[in-house]
Amino acid sequence: MLWVALELPALPLQIAERAGACPEALVIAEGTKQRPAVACANAAAKRAGIREGQAVAAAKALAGGLRVIERNPDAEREALESLAAWAGQFTPMAVVESQGIVLEVQACLRLFGGHAPLTSAIARGVRALGFHAALGIAPTPLAARVIARAEAQGLQVRACLDPADLRSRLEDLPLFLFDWPERALARLTDLGILRVKDILALPMEGIARRFGPEIVLALGRLMGTHADPRQPYAPPPRFRSRLELPAEAEGVEALLFPLRRLLAEFEGVARGRGAGAQRLLLTLEHGRKARTRMELDFASPEREPDFILSIAREKLGRLQLAAPTVAISLRADALLAYVPRTAAWLPGAQEQAIGRERLLERLAARLGRDRVFGIAIANDHRPERNWGRTPFKGEPPIPLAERPIWLLQRPQKLVTDSGEPMLQGALSLRAGPERIEAGWWDGLEVARDYYVATNPNGESYWVYREHRDPDSWYLHGVFA
Amino acid sequence: MKATIAALTQLPGVWRGGELEHVIHPTIPTGHRVLDRELPGGGWPMGTLSEVLHDGVGIGEVGFLSGALARAAEGDRLLAWINAPHLPYAPAIAQAGIPLERCLVVRPANREDAMWAAEQALKSGACGAVLFWLGQMKDYAWLRRLQMAAEAGRAMAVCFRPTEAGSLSTPAHLRVVVSSEDGALEVRIPKRRGPPLATPIRLGSAAPAIAASTRTPVRVPLHVVAVS
Repeated sequence: MLWVALELPALPLQIAERAGACPEALVIAEGTKQRPAVACANAAAKRAGIREGQAVAAAKALAGGLRVIERNPDAEREALESLAAWAGQFTPMAVVESQGIVLEVQACLRLFGGHAPLTSAIARGVRALGFHAALGIAPTPLAARVIARAEAQGLQVRACLDPADLRSRLEDLPLFLFDWPERALARLTDLGILRVKDILALPMEGIARRFGPEIVLALGRLMGTHADPRQPYAPPPRFRSRLELPAEAEGVEALLFPLRRLLAEFEGVARGRGAGAQRLLLTLEHGRKARTRMELDFASPEREPDFILSIAREKLGRLQLAAPTVAISLRADALLAYVPRTAAWLPGAQEQAIGRERLLERLAARLGRDRVFGIAIANDHRPERNWGRTPFKGEPPIPLAERPIWLLQRPQKLVTDSGEPMLQGALSLRAGPERIEAGWWDGLEVARDYYVATNPNGESYWVYREHRDPDSWYLHGVFA
Repeated sequence: MKATIAALTQLPGVWRGGELEHVIHPTIPTGHRVLDRELPGGGWPMGTLSEVLHDGVGIGEVGFLSGALARAAEGDRLLAWINAPHLPYAPAIAQAGIPLERCLVVRPANREDAMWAAEQALKSGACGAVLFWLGQMKDYAWLRRLQMAAEAGRAMAVCFRPTEAGSLSTPAHLRVVVSSEDGALEVRIPKRRGPPLATPIRLGSAAPAIAASTRTPVRVPLHVVAVS
């Protein structure tokens, strides 16, 4: 087993600043209503001298116009769950923890080409979502979390891939990285037990008696001597995400950056399910004014952020927004099976097919579906009726090879001479075979190889041979 | 000295003023031999912008290109008709040998959308030919953008403009003026990669170029006026 832990320090602040850094001072408050304290402060607030743990009243004295946001544990949990859903594209085993997630990656290392490409892909993806995360890799989930936490604190720990290295990697780490009870940690500090190696050197029975059995259990799970079963997070079969903008956004261009973040998240979630969405709902919230809703419809399920963004850009460009936007949300109610575009053997053909599909989507998105169409002929003599608009499909009709003028009502069995068909002399096959194999679905199955055959008199016939009985030839048409 | 000049003329994009340009852009035959002889590379250029100037509709200003259009649609590429003055008439297009199922008609609401649609169609690489009518558009920068898009998408880009645009400079590599003389189509080439064409050429009749192959004696208009 190999676990990757993602630790998101100052998570409430990250959620608040996900759509872009807030230029003015911003703090997250927690604690009692009477005396709220600063849980985390953004860069501008820290510059003003605000520290974590300060009373909010004191912080307000330091920075005028300080924005205070109440800490919301539900939103944090939701953010971690959406991150776990996003991580479903890397592994099915994504577990939500406090302040982070852990992923089991042993089984998917091969797919991503080893742990280094995988972790860098995860780190890149997390950044694209607008989060900062510290990564830890270890053979046990707890060790991975501790390493990620140490990383978040600025301690350098090398990735640990082999259970045999676990002890040497962990032994110098301080004990305050663990989620242990405050009392136990304080007593350990009083005894001069500060690092992992100190506590591992002690007899376990004594630790269990003095500090409680959960610490022994945690050490066992850390070192991999105790089982540490985890329940993977099962995301709901739809996508919903909302992003509050750091400042009110005028116009549409400012929305593209946060929208890209939402689309990156959507792509991860959809990829984890092998799905895409045929309809996406984008909602712009304008504070007190009515929301603006926009539907993005595609011909087939889509999930690529660049493409969806280019469509959304065209649609957004046509909008007249009544008021500045304060938040955007993206919703997909149905996740449908996504058909990845298969690579073509010949270069160029694939790009062309994608280009065509994309071109049609793009034109229809901006101009409207009724302004982009194909044309077809109808069977009528009246000029205004012998053509029609058709929704553009770009599919050619069934190509037909050479066809005879006369078709026999019933195919006629031909005489054969040592397997070769005869009709007023030996028939020589001029063109073919053209295989027609159809109708297996309605009980009138046809499985034949058709040929154009000529006899010594220069007469051309349309003949076929049955698949089931390759020696029997039939005449089916005459090239009159 | 002579050797140096000879070497220079081998470079792509360099040619003597008196000669037609050596092919750098692939071309497709238009089906009119007289016209092909006068076009650099022996055919209508692909991957670059070209202009057809004409006054009035109905002189065969689209029809004389039908041979080239049929070939441009080969390899499963689209033909986009953007902002055409009328609706392309399906039977005529089929008669001209152009595969109907590859024709994409785009009727934008305004000129800005039309230019955007033309750029998108050219850039996508999915189109073999993009025909667009921009009316009185005089924006050089936009034409330049379309020229770049045509290069990127390696498509045949034909811009139809009124003859008065002939006095304006153009980023297009080929500019053709067509007019009707006694029922025949007269073609002048004021701009090409080479010396301008001195004497106009006449294309026998303005009938669809490869209509003969479709065994249809009756002529059908290429466009119908929109009823709705």
